[in-house]
Amino acid sequence: MFLKMLLGALIRQKKKHLMIAFTVGLGVSLATAMLGVMFDVGDKVNQELKSYGANLNVIPKGSSMMGDLYRLSEGEGEGGELSELESDFIREDELYKIKMIFWAYNIVDYAPFLTVQVGLNGQKVPLSGTWFNKHLSLPTGDEVDTGMTAMKSWWVLEGRPGDDADPTGVLVGRELARAQGLKVGSNLEVQGPDGKAESLKVRAIFESGGEDDRGIFAPLALAQGLAQRPGLVQRVEVSALTTPENDLARRAAQNPGSLTRLEWDTWYCTAYISSIAYQIEEILPGVRVKPILRVAQSEGAILSKTQLMIILLTILTLLCSALAISNLVTANIMERSVEIGLLKALGATGLSISLLVLCEILIAGFGGGLVGYLVGLGLAQFIGLSVFGSTVAVKSVVIPIAVLMVLTVTFLGSLPALKTLLGLNPTEVLHGR
Amino acid sequence: MLSNRSFALRMVLWSLLRRRSRLLVALTGVTIGATVLLGLVTLCYDIPKQLSREFRSYGANMVFVKDQVGGRLTHGDLESVRETLPADRLVGLTPFRYEPVHNNMLPYTAVGTYFADVRLTSPFWRVTGEFPSEPGQILLGAEVAEATKLQAGQRISIEGRNTNQDRYSKDFTITGTVSTGGVEDAFIYLSLTDMEEMTREPGHIDLVEASLTSGGTPLGDLADLVRRNVPDIEPRLVTRVTRSEDTVLTKLTWLVYLVTVVVLTLTMICVTTTMMTVVMERRKEIGLKKALGAENKKVAREFLAEGLMLGVLGGLIGSLTGLLFARLVSYSVFGRGLNPEFHLVPLTVLVSALVTVVASLWPVKKAMEVEPALVLKGE
Amino acid sequence: MLNPEISPDRILVISDVSKIYGPIKALQNVSLSVGSGEWLAIMGPSGSGKTTLMNIIGCLDSPTSGRVLLDGLGLDSLSSAELTAIRRESIGLIFQQFHLVSYLTALENVMVAQYYHSLVDEKEALEALENVGLADRAKHLPRQLSGGEQQRVCIARALINHPKLLLADEPTGNLDETNEAMVMDILHSLHKRGSTIIVVTHALEVAAHAERTLVLEHGRVASDVRNQPYQK
Repeated sequence: MFLKMLLGALIRQKKKHLMIAFTVGLGVSLATAMLGVMFDVGDKVNQELKSYGANLNVIPKGSSMMGDLYRLSEGEGEGGELSELESDFIREDELYKIKMIFWAYNIVDYAPFLTVQVGLNGQKVPLSGTWFNKHLSLPTGDEVDTGMTAMKSWWVLEGRPGDDADPTGVLVGRELARAQGLKVGSNLEVQGPDGKAESLKVRAIFESGGEDDRGIFAPLALAQGLAQRPGLVQRVEVSALTTPENDLARRAAQNPGSLTRLEWDTWYCTAYISSIAYQIEEILPGVRVKPILRVAQSEGAILSKTQLMIILLTILTLLCSALAISNLVTANIMERSVEIGLLKALGATGLSISLLVLCEILIAGFGGGLVGYLVGLGLAQFIGLSVFGSTVAVKSVVIPIAVLMVLTVTFLGSLPALKTLLGLNPTEVLHGR
Repeated sequence: MLSNRSFALRMVLWSLLRRRSRLLVALTGVTIGATVLLGLVTLCYDIPKQLSREFRSYGANMVFVKDQVGGRLTHGDLESVRETLPADRLVGLTPFRYEPVHNNMLPYTAVGTYFADVRLTSPFWRVTGEFPSEPGQILLGAEVAEATKLQAGQRISIEGRNTNQDRYSKDFTITGTVSTGGVEDAFIYLSLTDMEEMTREPGHIDLVEASLTSGGTPLGDLADLVRRNVPDIEPRLVTRVTRSEDTVLTKLTWLVYLVTVVVLTLTMICVTTTMMTVVMERRKEIGLKKALGAENKKVAREFLAEGLMLGVLGGLIGSLTGLLFARLVSYSVFGRGLNPEFHLVPLTVLVSALVTVVASLWPVKKAMEVEPALVLKGE
Repeated sequence: MLNPEISPDRILVISDVSKIYGPIKALQNVSLSVGSGEWLAIMGPSGSGKTTLMNIIGCLDSPTSGRVLLDGLGLDSLSSAELTAIRRESIGLIFQQFHLVSYLTALENVMVAQYYHSLVDEKEALEALENVGLADRAKHLPRQLSGGEQQRVCIARALINHPKLLLADEPTGNLDETNEAMVMDILHSLHKRGSTIIVVTHALEVAAHAERTLVLEHGRVASDVRNQPYQK
């Protein structure tokens, strides 16, 4: 009988149940979309922030950092002398190991640099050898493409991008090109520190907005040849996806030895910038890995703020949609006061009426929720595609959360209205007083 | 004597006041809608601005140098730049002066600056110990500290020659070390005032860093403005920062906008369905009024008035809660309050009223199409 | 048409009216005429078509075929807005379920009818309540009134615009004997003052109050007889 009544109510009161299904569906689609975006926004923003370039600098243990942000007066204090000690360099043939650390998949890009002062028309000019877009085959069987082109996304190139296979093709900074009257396709001749001359061709003129605009970027082998440091590089810039730092990460960065075993495991297995740095130091002996705080710190701040913002927005929207659903359920139950009064007059107990009404609402809500979930997936993808140009990976944890939310909300939303109606005298309800 | 108009008003008011539980349901619905509307729209205004401020943690996005090689700026130039740039977008403006110095016969670069400004333009500096706060104090780059094996609390002697080749030498107290993973690690920092005193050559500045929020006039135009207003100065955009900020900030802003649009649409539909349910319950009443000879127009007008009142009331309450909502998000995410956009309140009320009225008139129209006899006999 | 019987004292003339809902013939060729000041009872078992007839007379429904003249005016070919206007001007309705607006007081419920008709007049509305013996309950909400009191409010509301025809559908169906007597007394005094009354009922004792009884069976007129003058 219960089933018959349930079915009858569901089929004959189609409109009302459709309304409930519709609202619950809206709520669920909202929840799914927001939760989907919420769980994935960190990864997405992290990826976007990679456009700020490297956040780790790998240098040989002995040397100090010679990179420069705003060099002031040319030539001054810059002997351009390369160290004679091999310990002041990193071996190029070991660099593939960077892609084999625990957090290998978080290493987005890396590129080695070897800078040598070369003579160009009587002027001293820094020439940096690097990987533009190097293909590496790892012993693990993975194939990796990495290099500077992807890492310095803010560079504006005029001409063809750098190519590791073109041994004499170089990129020339805009200011240097202007000073020397160089154009894309021009030929130039540079002299290495010990007088060795190389004839080069300009593949592209680039604008970086920094000091690099006064230098030349060349394939690594060319710079190694000019510097006579075959197989060696001075430093490696690494761009890695990281987790915003917390207290643990800061303590670990100071001294990894101060952590307890458990803390150490947590730290090592989380993609903190300090643990990635530590792992690179582990795998490449003789190097020091320094986080570039300008990038790393800002990434952390922006990432955590964006995540917090989306989380808060999600919670608040979920709250609102929960309220809206329970509100509608209340309205729906109120509308049915006569029907409930009648059932009561016929001798139905409060419990059986509640069960009937709840079942109806839950079935309608479930149907709506299912459709809403699919719509929500679509909305999440729409947001992902139109903002980040890639799909949002909706975590499976979203499903139980959404289901639980709908069940709780519809259930809790029904209770107050049911309670009021069951408290009423059936005759009063029936006589429409 | 009671006029027809005031009787109609009385009817509408009683309908709202004497059906309290229904009123509550409808009002809750409208209020939620208004809260989400105002809250999200306020955030839409606010979040890009706030995020833009967060992006300033990447440091300076514009630097100023003298336009001829080897030339130096003056304090006058610094002040002119400060006056030219819009104050509400200027997060910080920091002068730097570089001098080659020696300690224990080893060469270093000493940098004179104002530490209060550095904290604004370079929030990423990680200082172990403290920033210098008094004259005679100095901050070492991490690599310098490592090379000299000096630490906070110890003293360091700095010597050098000024442009007239006059020797100078001064002892400083180390307050801490700075590490950034960049060139800063290799410098020695002291206050610009100390440096001018030490070198006996006041007035020089090599470089000025500015950190400006985005939004409004593009940075390139601001650079042109400075170039026109301050003689012999060369503003340069730090492209690496500006260009990346442009792309990332645009995407984040779009994310917020899209989320807002989706949430708003769905919420408004929710409000509509709630209103529809509440009004559908009153089909009997509509049937009765029609049986009594009410014209459709009059009944519709009553519901319109009711919807209008609900919409306005819900809109007003929702505006209040919406502003709180936005404030809550802004405070907990960015740690800053936000300027309540009061001019959005009338808009919110208007939209709430519109949604409510439209949502309630549709079922009224449906109910009126049905013969009153059918409605009155009960379904 | 057939014997239109158009004369000034005929307030309602129904000729050959049928109403068909899909396969169901609710009314078949019903003809009826009611004189001004007459009190007619329409009787019949459930499903005999009496409510359908009442809805057609009350301008709440239109016949499938046939002609209805109310106060000399043909109701067919009128739009629903025009029917509404006639309902407002000429007919007072009393329902079995009372149908009061739940959130308005007794007085306000009466005034609703004034409001939709022409102008509200609180004094007149109060007098109408006085006439049904409810002056002291004017400020009560429907849920605070007994069934009899609610029905009397309905009568006051039906009468407020001086309708040409008072139409009551089972007016005592939800009332006990005392309240039924009270309602019938009111109808009697209205009849005495010259109101035309049509009461739809299935109860003989209610029909007995009327001057004339029309019995419907299966949608057709089964009998149409004059009653004995009512004796208390």
